[in-house]
Amino acid sequence: MRRALLLPLGLLVVIYCLFPFFWTVVTALKPPQEVFSLPIRYLPKALSAENFVEVFHKRPFSRYIFNSLIVATGGTLLTLVLASLVAFRLRYMPVQRALSFQRWLLVGAIVPPTLLVIPIFVVIKALGLINNPLGLILSYCFLNLPFGVWMLYAAFSRIPKELDEAAMIDGFSWGGILLRIILPLSRAALAVSAALIFIFCWNEFLIALTLMPDQNRYTVPVGISMLSGASIYEIPWGQINAAVTLTTLPVILTVALLERWIVEGLTAGAIKG
Amino acid sequence: MNFRYRFFASLSILVVLLLRAPSKAEVLRMIGPEDVGGAWAEVIKRFHERHPSIRVNYISGPWSTDERQNMYIRSFLSGDPVELVYMDVTWTAKFAAGGWLLPLDEWFTPEKQQEFLPGAVKAGYYEGRIYRVPVRADVGMLYYRRDLIPKPPRTWREFERICQRYSRPPDVYCIVFQGMQYEGLVCDFLEYLWGAGGEVIDPKGRVVLDSPQGLEALKFMRKLIERGWAPKAVLSFQEQHSLSAFSQGKALFMRNWPYAWTILNRQDSPLRGKVGIVPFIHKEGHESVGTLGGWGLGIARGVKEPERASKFIEFATSTEAQKILHFRRGAVPSRKALFFDPDILKVSPHYRDLYEIVMRARARPVHPDYPRISDTLQKHVSAVLAGVEGPEEALKIMARSIEGTLRGREEGYLKRIAIDYDLRRTLLNTVLFTSISVPLEFILGLLIALLLTAQFRGRSFVRLAVLIPWALPTAVMAMSWQWMFNNPFGVLNDLLVRVGLAERPFDWLSGPSGAMFAAIFADLWKTTPFVVIILLAGLHSIPQELKESISIDGAGPLRRFFHLTFPLLLPFVRVALIFRVIHAAGIFDLIWVLTKGGPADSTRTLCIYIYEVAFRYDELGYAIFLTVLFLLALIGMSFLIVRLTTLGYERT
Repeated sequence: MRRALLLPLGLLVVIYCLFPFFWTVVTALKPPQEVFSLPIRYLPKALSAENFVEVFHKRPFSRYIFNSLIVATGGTLLTLVLASLVAFRLRYMPVQRALSFQRWLLVGAIVPPTLLVIPIFVVIKALGLINNPLGLILSYCFLNLPFGVWMLYAAFSRIPKELDEAAMIDGFSWGGILLRIILPLSRAALAVSAALIFIFCWNEFLIALTLMPDQNRYTVPVGISMLSGASIYEIPWGQINAAVTLTTLPVILTVALLERWIVEGLTAGAIKG
Repeated sequence: MNFRYRFFASLSILVVLLLRAPSKAEVLRMIGPEDVGGAWAEVIKRFHERHPSIRVNYISGPWSTDERQNMYIRSFLSGDPVELVYMDVTWTAKFAAGGWLLPLDEWFTPEKQQEFLPGAVKAGYYEGRIYRVPVRADVGMLYYRRDLIPKPPRTWREFERICQRYSRPPDVYCIVFQGMQYEGLVCDFLEYLWGAGGEVIDPKGRVVLDSPQGLEALKFMRKLIERGWAPKAVLSFQEQHSLSAFSQGKALFMRNWPYAWTILNRQDSPLRGKVGIVPFIHKEGHESVGTLGGWGLGIARGVKEPERASKFIEFATSTEAQKILHFRRGAVPSRKALFFDPDILKVSPHYRDLYEIVMRARARPVHPDYPRISDTLQKHVSAVLAGVEGPEEALKIMARSIEGTLRGREEGYLKRIAIDYDLRRTLLNTVLFTSISVPLEFILGLLIALLLTAQFRGRSFVRLAVLIPWALPTAVMAMSWQWMFNNPFGVLNDLLVRVGLAERPFDWLSGPSGAMFAAIFADLWKTTPFVVIILLAGLHSIPQELKESISIDGAGPLRRFFHLTFPLLLPFVRVALIFRVIHAAGIFDLIWVLTKGGPADSTRTLCIYIYEVAFRYDELGYAIFLTVLFLLALIGMSFLIVRLTTLGYERT
């Protein structure tokens, strides 16, 4: 009897969580003139790709995507390189000390980016990296490093230490051990961390807004938030929703693919919002 | 080893590629609005013909003046300034005070200045030096229907009389003007304020806005709407909307800039020859004043060869270029002689009348903090027009906020936080937002987490769906929410009406409580999943045996929850709570995109304020000071949360 009640409740939760995305897709797929027609149609009369074509045609959306890909890829790679070095070093520390070190890292990670944006801006400006993707990549690395270390340390510590010792006897340097043994054995954790960190970078708004004032360097979220028409009454909602769809769809697919590991990783780290 | 080398080689290539700064050719850039009519393209083309060695690149910026100002400011702060600064009259003081402009006294000499409109030249001065050469002038004035009104009004009382007699709303309103929350509203407001003998800041630098004259001006504006003399829709009008309503015959009067005359007298205009212009109305016993507007060019400091930039400015402000700008996009020249130019008078005979109005124009307060002063005026005048705030209340808030801004500059930071009215206001909003959204998140999050511990078909799909809002980009989804809250095309209004919860669509984002509700609602959607994930992990960590044994002891589900589940869940609640409180208090992306902190500051939170202090008002020092204070407050808050969620027996 009670079980029967759970299913509709679950359905309600699903609708609540997915409705905004659903509505975005529906709006994006409507022909442009139908977007602004009343009464609202919940399922479009005809599907149209016009909004999608226009957002690439009339707006520099492909440019935004390119910029986002550069910073997100760069940020992810750099974070993973540094995180695996740190996690590898932590592996040779007493467990207690390694854990307490990470706890401090996490305390730093809890500070919201809103409070870090001004110091980050000051540093990146002093480095002369405003409007340079590298500035954003460094910032993203800084923001995501604690999370990366956490994820990779958990994976590394599952690998028995005896393997390292055996490799050492075989004449491997420490770099060789990391590259040839530890990293290949932690492929799954690396992939999940990479996916998550990529999503974090892809989604980030505030730092990108601040460090890349040049409109040719806008990332996707910044570009979308700046999409506007000739006046407030001509906001191209069809195009905006098309852009939102294109930005969010890959994220959703990744999450669907990696759901189990994401939940594990998140609860282990319990960070990031 | 091979792999390692390849890896590091490609990494260093990546770094080198990225380090190569974007190539800066010897091009002079300028940012302006969309080049309607190709006027600037033509000016630049002719300039290139004369000076083939200098290239000028006109960047089409966004339509909003504000956004373009931000683009310039960010370019100055980044150390790669846009060379040619095409600025509104109101930017000069701020840009000059920031040390971002080169003084132009050397070649824009007093003799040359003689040829330009005195008000427009004066607006280019800051602390005794000139920074801006006027390209086009603008002034606010009153358009009237010559065919409907026998004699145009000069005073407020005459104006009211005509409104009573001739207007027939909703077919023909009395007046349309610019009532949206933006710079144009300030221009309109100042004309009423000055026309009643009031001031924002007196010559000694004191804030004198909260005066009987200020109250009269605000009440008069409010009356226009209350009486139905102006349509309610002016609250969302900018220049072009006022013009389109006026040209459709929907109003007897219009407050607008000179460009409208050209459009109203085009061949295809129904009002061709039926429109007259007079100086703006004023209160009896005072004088009419029009707000001076207009654009001018300056040179950014740090430009390598400023002579090249000055050559372009010289050409862009020449008679030849001003005529192009006039004929192609209706710009009012800034050179006096052009008002009597036969070519121009042939097309625009009204330029004789206009000359008188332009010569009486008055610039807005020249102050490096003008943008902030204007922000305050915009928000509260707009709130009065919308009926969200009473005129007396709004006047007090505006005066105190502006006073806080002006005096704050002189005080030390510690004293400043005591008089910073905006700080107090945004802090209050932040507390309100956090204290509503976090508890709701926890209730909802706990319920969903409990649901997910039960066994039912499709559970894993529900769990996946819950993850989605968490993973989506906040700023991007805020656009979606803005669309869903839209009136009248928003889907949420439609759903509410269909279900019967609302009788007609509600304008969520333009009222203070509606906007706050929208922000909280969207935040709830976005952040509840995080709470669910953490609490779910907590629920799973409770050993099955414990649950079974307490059930055997005969405990019902409620007792089981409060005596077993909840205490064991507490450490997880603690983590999630600290995290959520900190992040809710530090909210930025969502509100920035959804409401920009409006209307009338009702959703402006602390972090938005701090960000604006740093990047809009350019006071990095004060912003860092506030950030540190905020950080300390959050740390204190976290300790408090730990203390409160630690049960007595857990403490050692």
